[in-house]
Amino acid sequence: MTPPPDINQYKELARRYGLGSTPESVSRLTQLVARQDSDVDEIVRVIEKDPGLSARLLRVANPHAENEADYSVDSVEAALMRNGIGCALLLAMGTPLSLALIKTFQTMLSLKLEAVDRNQFDVLTGLHMRGSIGFVGKVVGHVYLRMSIPAAKTVAAGILGIAPDEVGGNDELSDVIGELSNIMTGNFKSNLCDAGLDCKLQPPKVGLSEDYSTPVEPGGGIERLAFRAGDLLIFVEVTANPWNE
Amino acid sequence: MAIKILSVDDSRTIRLIVGKAFKPYECTMLEAGNGEEGLVVAAREKPDLIILDVTMPVMDGVTMLTKLKEDAELKTIPVIMLTAESGRENVLQIARLGVRDYLVKPFKEDQLLEKAGRCVTLVKRAAAPAAPVAPAT
Repeated sequence: MTPPPDINQYKELARRYGLGSTPESVSRLTQLVARQDSDVDEIVRVIEKDPGLSARLLRVANPHAENEADYSVDSVEAALMRNGIGCALLLAMGTPLSLALIKTFQTMLSLKLEAVDRNQFDVLTGLHMRGSIGFVGKVVGHVYLRMSIPAAKTVAAGILGIAPDEVGGNDELSDVIGELSNIMTGNFKSNLCDAGLDCKLQPPKVGLSEDYSTPVEPGGGIERLAFRAGDLLIFVEVTANPWNE
Repeated sequence: MAIKILSVDDSRTIRLIVGKAFKPYECTMLEAGNGEEGLVVAAREKPDLIILDVTMPVMDGVTMLTKLKEDAELKTIPVIMLTAESGRENVLQIARLGVRDYLVKPFKEDQLLEKAGRCVTLVKRAAAPAAPVAPAT
């Protein structure tokens, strides 16, 4: 039998290797969500202490609202009552995912990517580049990464250190977007596993697509995120359903 | 003699980035797309350093690392894990197997070079001699 993880040993290794850590509020939230018998009041307290998490939960709980004035669900508690704990799980996943995406753009493209309100931007239409990664285990779901073809070329060129017109065919484009999807997803998977929601990632599926549907697992939820750096727009969707056992 | 560095990753993008990072240095880059191929290249070339991904098809990085450490001829080759996953159990398991260092994606070239420099001596390539300039006529 595998011995239980040694927290102190891990902290020492994390220090030695220079590993980053997930924000405390997100780690705590993930641990609470991972327990099927967790106290909803405690989850509410953790989310309410973090204005970013609260705002995102309300956005998830009001999927059709164009702005805060249109919210029919206007408190963290009401959002959790209406949408269930799965909503909180999406927050727990979306934060490390967003941080990883922003860090990747900063580190590998020297671009300052910022999270933006998805409703303020025209959603992609027509053929676009789509990467998706599924995860299975105690939590199941998918992460979708979408961008226009010119945006994908800009991203690929930046990561590979070449000019956009030097980017090869769809294979090269797909490999870069697939790796970007891997980096995003790997970071939040670590957070889920640390909280006891063990899951495995499936290989990324990347290609040109006209399909904008985002299937949601039965009983699960979806969070839609958008990011911008200048003219570059990146769309991300996360679907998840915990306790798949 | 140039050192040999083996990059094992299923992503060609990452292998390109790793190769680009070491380009200014006297080293020969070797590549493999999964752990199985990585073991073959490692046994044949005896690299001085292995940069190893975790999640790969056919054979993952943890299995390759385990097999490297079981092989008397290969077990002393330093390995740096290069992965997007830094989960507690992953890190502890890999550390117990005897990995030299761990780098989480996304990463900067400088970070990779710094960690590699702790395992092998990196020597800058001599600047190429300037092309002779034709005298003006």
